[in-house]
Amino acid sequence: MSFQGQAPFVIAISDEHLSLLSKKLALATLPDEIDGASWDYGVPLADIKRLVHHWKNGFDWRKQEAALNAELPQFTRDIDVEGYGTLNIHYVHKKSEVTGAIPLLFVHGWPGSFIEVRKLLPLLIEASPDHPSFHVVAISLPGYGFSSAPSKKGFEITQYAEVAHKLMLVLGYDEYVTQGGDWGYMITRKISELYGPKYSKAWHTNCPVSGPPTTSRPLVWLRYALSGFPLLSYNKREKTGLERSAWFQRQGFGYFAEQSTRPQTLGYGLADSPVGLLAWIYEKLVEWTDGYKWNDDEVLTWISIYLFSRAGATASIRIYYESLKVANASGKDLFSLAMHNKVPVGWTHVPNLVFEAEHEEGGHFAAYEKPEILAGDLRKMFGKGGGAFGVVKDKNGYDA
Amino acid sequence: MSFPGQTPFVIAIPDEQLSLLGKKLALITLPDEIDNASWDYGVPLADIKRLVHHWKNGFDWRKQEAALNAELPQFTRDIDIEGYGTLNIHYVHKKSEVTGAIPLLFVHGWPGSFIEVRKLLPLLIEASPDHPSFHVVAISLPGYGFSSAPSKKGFEITQYAEVAHKLMLALGYNEYVTQGGDWGYRITRKIAELYGPKHSKAWHTNFPLSGPPTTSRPLVWLGHALSGLPFLSYNKREKAGFERSAWFQRWGRGYFAEQSTCPQTLGYSLADSPVGLLAWIYEKLVEWTDGYKWDDDEGSVLSSTFEKLKLDWPAASVRIYYESSKAAGGKDLFSLDVHTKIPVGYSYFPKELLILPRSWTRVPNLVFEAEHEEGGHFAAYEKPELLAGDLRKMFGKGGGAFGVVKDKN
Repeated sequence: MSFQGQAPFVIAISDEHLSLLSKKLALATLPDEIDGASWDYGVPLADIKRLVHHWKNGFDWRKQEAALNAELPQFTRDIDVEGYGTLNIHYVHKKSEVTGAIPLLFVHGWPGSFIEVRKLLPLLIEASPDHPSFHVVAISLPGYGFSSAPSKKGFEITQYAEVAHKLMLVLGYDEYVTQGGDWGYMITRKISELYGPKYSKAWHTNCPVSGPPTTSRPLVWLRYALSGFPLLSYNKREKTGLERSAWFQRQGFGYFAEQSTRPQTLGYGLADSPVGLLAWIYEKLVEWTDGYKWNDDEVLTWISIYLFSRAGATASIRIYYESLKVANASGKDLFSLAMHNKVPVGWTHVPNLVFEAEHEEGGHFAAYEKPEILAGDLRKMFGKGGGAFGVVKDKNGYDA
Repeated sequence: MSFPGQTPFVIAIPDEQLSLLGKKLALITLPDEIDNASWDYGVPLADIKRLVHHWKNGFDWRKQEAALNAELPQFTRDIDIEGYGTLNIHYVHKKSEVTGAIPLLFVHGWPGSFIEVRKLLPLLIEASPDHPSFHVVAISLPGYGFSSAPSKKGFEITQYAEVAHKLMLALGYNEYVTQGGDWGYRITRKIAELYGPKHSKAWHTNFPLSGPPTTSRPLVWLGHALSGLPFLSYNKREKAGFERSAWFQRWGRGYFAEQSTCPQTLGYSLADSPVGLLAWIYEKLVEWTDGYKWDDDEGSVLSSTFEKLKLDWPAASVRIYYESSKAAGGKDLFSLDVHTKIPVGYSYFPKELLILPRSWTRVPNLVFEAEHEEGGHFAAYEKPELLAGDLRKMFGKGGGAFGVVKDKN
């Protein structure tokens, strides 16, 4: 497969990088901890000590690097972004054997990356008469993975959407569908706003966000207003979800507040301290997942993508600042958007909702935690009989 | 001066710590920056580069250490805290020549420390027929400076107040006055609540807080409700104060959100990265002051003080946010209304973080008020003469708190 302008890419972190990491780890200074702290104050010291020990003694980056390169065919290419010049974009691209496979763009968020697609990808590509197949493109957003970062102010959701859309076009995918969570939700939603229905034909998210209903949707609002009454109260799952949202609002919001106001200040520590970066991200890997049993290699590989990223970890958090700035300017409160991420089902109902599935397990990083479940959902949504079957012309996911 | 249970203390950072710092500085990795970012995204890269360069090449910690030891007589002593065992507390203590000097406890906040008192102290101690003098005690709060940190959960404002109060008693100051800003405001207010009027006789703060008026104060509330009307609107200074407060609430509370929820997670990078700690604190030294011209030695002194004194300081020092927020039970920490029963004095500086109309903060026991044209959050350090002047007025002859301490006016 050869695409003009596209350069094959393999992850090949330099020896100097690895050596510097090793020197920093040798000097790592850890804080004290309150007795019996557990997770009350943040990541427990015991977790970090164990991970640092493994990082120094057992973790084999070259092995992880080789595995990633083997599983995920990667490329880079230049993409022009209006007002921002040319960015060099890194992405995964793998086609299915099925000629009628649906082109799907997978968009990660923070602290995610292209590697979130690694388990989902083989399931989506897989050929079968019983379910549709997909060609998969997983972009590294500017400032993440091995994509370059914008150097000018104001690069926000609209620009991320533009980059991703242009990537699909230049890969020859004039019509495509998208899947995203976290910032991937915001970005794929923007893609559908700006480039649908002409190019973006359907979008799926595992992170539907909504504020509480307003009177513009009277029935949903009424239910909300009366949810205090026993007969009309939300069901157990919805209540748990609302509690989860409330937890996030009370306890889980610190990173968001700092990243959306002072990303550079935070960024000095994240750039300089591998342990600091590890703790900052690992906290989310644990708190945002549903009891996922991370092994230390997985954690360190995940963090390494940030540590060794082309633009550095600091570049990745500017999306919060730029997006909050836009929200502020339009009078919206981005914070409250972020907060309500586990809302009763009626709140997220929109007229064009064609597929919905609720699951008993899984968390924020759905593609990584529950790839079979997510793949199953996409297959239902896009497969024969599904609500988005045949949205892409001549590419319904099956061999002709 | 000899006090039982007190040990004289000099700052003497071991060579190993300086050496470790040197090694870490040699391996520094800095982030990139958006073009022309200025202060939009946080501390500018150029500032950090300059400070790091000075830290590596020009900064002489031993010289700074010697100066601190020369200016500030320091001590440590054990203090028992109910439920927390014994903590070893570090403090500055200097008496005035004036025998009737007023014992004054100075309480810092975050990211402050005992060194905030260094310029104010000589002014307060100074003898003169024209103004009162003070004996000065500047405590290092548990988890700060050279004080040990609590190891159990839940150590919050009440405990900090208890430690400080017990320190004053142990030094023979059965009656005393206090001065504090930032957490020092909350802690000295708690001291006034718990230990006034028997021991704590009056308190002064440069960080007076209050919530918006409620109907419990009908006239003030009415004034606020009608402040949209031209002739009842707040004056220019008060409006500027609202803007400053709004800026802080919207853009300046990221650190607060993280420190009050996940101090440990943040603490890993503060503990491991000198430049990370430098940036985290330096941001406040600039944003919270009124154009104060920090020189690189000062910038590094302050950070070095924090970083090297105790390498576990960074995580321990920020826990006060977590514990206090938890204790406040979800109420906004910044606007809890509490009325103390002892005389209180307020000094208002224009670049403080939360600036409220005088009508909101006025309490029945307010005996002194002063507004200034310049100065910010670290008033004692930025404007020591102004703050000393205010304390002299408040406690001096004719002042609202004159003679509050028996036999020590």
